[in-house]
Amino acid sequence: MPSAIAAAVAPANLERTIDSLDATVIDAERRKALLARSFELRSGREKPGRYWKIDLDALDYDRLSTTGTATAPKITAPQARGLVACDLATAAREHGDLLARAFGIAVRAHDNKFAALATALCNAGAFIYVPADVAVDEPIEIAYDARGALFPYTIVFAEHGASVSVIERISGQNDAFVCGVSEIATGESAAVTYAAEQQLPSDGQAIFTRAAKPGKDSNVVWCVADMGARLTVGSIDVIVEYSGIDAQINSLFFPRDDQHVDVVSTVQHNVGESQSQTIVKSAATGRGQARYLGNIRIAPHAQGTESSLRDDALLLSTRAHIDSVPALEIGANDVKAYHGATVGALDDEQIFYMTSRGIAPADAEKMIALGFFEPVIGRFPTNALRERLRAALEAKVS
Amino acid sequence: MNTDSSQATSPSDRGLIIRDLRAGVAGNHILKGINLQVEPGRVHALMGPNGSGKSTLAFSLTGHPNYQVESGSVTLDGQDLLALPPDKRAKAGLFLSFQYPAAIPGVKVANFLHAARQAVRPGDLTPGKFRALLMEKLETLDMDPTFLGRYLNDGFSGGEKKRLEMLQLAVLQPKYAVLDETDSGLDVDALRAVGESINALRKTDEGKQTGFLIITHYPRILQHVEPDVVHVMMDGRIVKEGSAELAQRIEREGYDKIREESEQLA
Repeated sequence: MPSAIAAAVAPANLERTIDSLDATVIDAERRKALLARSFELRSGREKPGRYWKIDLDALDYDRLSTTGTATAPKITAPQARGLVACDLATAAREHGDLLARAFGIAVRAHDNKFAALATALCNAGAFIYVPADVAVDEPIEIAYDARGALFPYTIVFAEHGASVSVIERISGQNDAFVCGVSEIATGESAAVTYAAEQQLPSDGQAIFTRAAKPGKDSNVVWCVADMGARLTVGSIDVIVEYSGIDAQINSLFFPRDDQHVDVVSTVQHNVGESQSQTIVKSAATGRGQARYLGNIRIAPHAQGTESSLRDDALLLSTRAHIDSVPALEIGANDVKAYHGATVGALDDEQIFYMTSRGIAPADAEKMIALGFFEPVIGRFPTNALRERLRAALEAKVS
Repeated sequence: MNTDSSQATSPSDRGLIIRDLRAGVAGNHILKGINLQVEPGRVHALMGPNGSGKSTLAFSLTGHPNYQVESGSVTLDGQDLLALPPDKRAKAGLFLSFQYPAAIPGVKVANFLHAARQAVRPGDLTPGKFRALLMEKLETLDMDPTFLGRYLNDGFSGGEKKRLEMLQLAVLQPKYAVLDETDSGLDVDALRAVGESINALRKTDEGKQTGFLIITHYPRILQHVEPDVVHVMMDGRIVKEGSAELAQRIEREGYDKIREESEQLA
């Protein structure tokens, strides 16, 4: 085990992070066990291509600084009856029972290298709890500002008939290393939208495990935008265990310069009569490298499932590379499953069409590239977030 | 003293003037010496059977990268078009209505029109006035304002695409407009709508000055838009010119008769 990590899990350091957490959901013994587990497990991600430079099973943790890096997120929430929206330490102190109920429903840290690491070293986090039949009418914003190594754990739990939108913003200082977990769990007929906007500096690293387990007749929407960091590793899952669920995974990323992005999404339909939609738009320029693996798994008895996967990748330089792999495993016969994937450069006919109207070629390319992301940007909550994403994309194509 | 006349426009330079244009695509010689002059404020029809080179002419004029001009000249009010990239040709005042306009998902019609108008006429309208112009043109063309919020040609029917080309023509107000088979693939109602929209534009102050080159296989759009001159193209050459009556003759007799006559002349 790397020495920086070993130091991080030393009892003195753990106490400095979130000691109250240990009393409720995770104690020092379990942290140690998960940490060991993290180094036993393989990431399960092979190097996607020959230009891909980073081995996810041999990340360099020794340079990480984990002392004094714990930072509670800034949380902005509207008023709503019974709503809990606080940092994890406060939640553990004041809402221990609720937190214990919600923790670990969707994410199985024991089975996932990076979720195990994030849980073992958790030094920041947020807890959002929405009571039954409460509609939180404005999005809750959770802003993490990472210094050194940050291991944020964000939990959203919506009871029967509740609805909420959460926007997670991840920014940080140079060299920030962020390894986090986000999980969503709901009761019946609930609705949760969870948007994540990662804008770390260009030498940062971001590793996120995100999973949702919606209740019967519930809607769950993931919107994940990975813009910054030199390395982004994401997994975005929805586990469908009930009927009547409507789940969406929306993801966009755009490596440029030497950025690497590796995203895997999985919708696991274990029960039928539910639907899911996965939409991924990615672009790469400079020496940007990306790999996307889109899994749709429909269990043999999950009849009546309707599931689609749309994945488009745009290459804006000859040295950029995107590997895009849709993977459908369909065990049931009475289902509707669609998938479509494209990888390509900007279309010459589109550019010619725009230039024939007087638009300069560089501007035409920019408009087309930005337009390419619009169908997925349109699914992100709030105009302010959409505008921030457009600005970030525009900076990348400039 | 009048030694530097490269930027000057004398009355005789006025027009979209094509001289002995030879051009092709993928190594095939298609245009074999086209001579044609489109005058401001006039409607020229360019007719010809399939494969005669009409679309090659349209793309050569606008500078499509797949089309190679071998020799000849094209000037727009005295300016050498062939020396310019496509965007500069548009700025010079040329417009092509595409037979198959590209769909560009994610780019809204309103934003595209604004970018294009800004490109060809930088800063001439405030956003508010631009919006007013858009609304006025939509009304002239009897188009629904919801068009503006849709993605460019994305999921448009054939008729909607042609209507949008006409809207662009109206908003960009070019000096010369080349309409490439704008009538193809349209049903009778859509064809009438397109014809009426061209006529409506021709009644506006700017439209009165616009020179039109309407490229068509069938004479039927010319029942809605009366041409001042008809040019007939075959095998990469203009073989016959005449008045609107020539289009009616083609309607009655087809192209074969004209082909025979031109071959006898040759």
